[in-house]
Amino acid sequence: MSTAMNFSNKSFTPRPPDKGAFPLDHFGECSAFKERFMECLRQSGYESAACRQSAKAYLECRMDRRAVFSKMFVLFSSFLLRQLMANEPLEKLGFKDLINEKSEEKPEKS
Amino acid sequence: VVPGETALAFYKAKNPTDKPIIGISTYNVVPFEAGQYFNKIQCFCFEEQRLNPHEEVDMPVFFYIDPEFAEDPKMAKVDLITLSYTFFEAKEGQKLPLPGYQ
Repeated sequence: MSTAMNFSNKSFTPRPPDKGAFPLDHFGECSAFKERFMECLRQSGYESAACRQSAKAYLECRMDRRAVFSKMFVLFSSFLLRQLMANEPLEKLGFKDLINEKSEEKPEKS
Repeated sequence: VVPGETALAFYKAKNPTDKPIIGISTYNVVPFEAGQYFNKIQCFCFEEQRLNPHEEVDMPVFFYIDPEFAEDPKMAKVDLITLSYTFFEAKEGQKLPLPGYQ
């Protein structure tokens, strides 16, 4: 499906995300982190590079969370525990420099 | 956004109806030629997502622009890339007609 406004025969082929889909944060568990990130963006004039610490904090929040409903079944069915994001080492998400406090910015992909 | 650096973006979706809706989204990148450099690490797209009545959720996209973008002379004039998502309602059990088969 193509919504590009060109008249050629090229059509845009969507590609799936490398690490799959984010489950929805129905309970807004990480909303506070998201607000902090958005506030940072507004203050920095939407410079993504300036807000990588906040982005990292948001993703860490997602990795730490279990979906609230699954806590009720934790005794019986730990296989139902659903994180809002699979645990990934932060270097693999492009935050290597923020961990080591180095200035290089190479994103590492698994 | 700097090519090669991971970045986070948020969209917001709201279900204004009184019924739960199951949706699937797909995305588009403009300009078309920039799409090949757009790499999603994780997003909310392609999988069915359920929105309860009157629910509003934040939908994150975690991505990076391939650093080769900066090397491509055709991209020299591109300083704005627009990522858009379209949310479709998923229809259960829909059987698409296969041409030539009955």
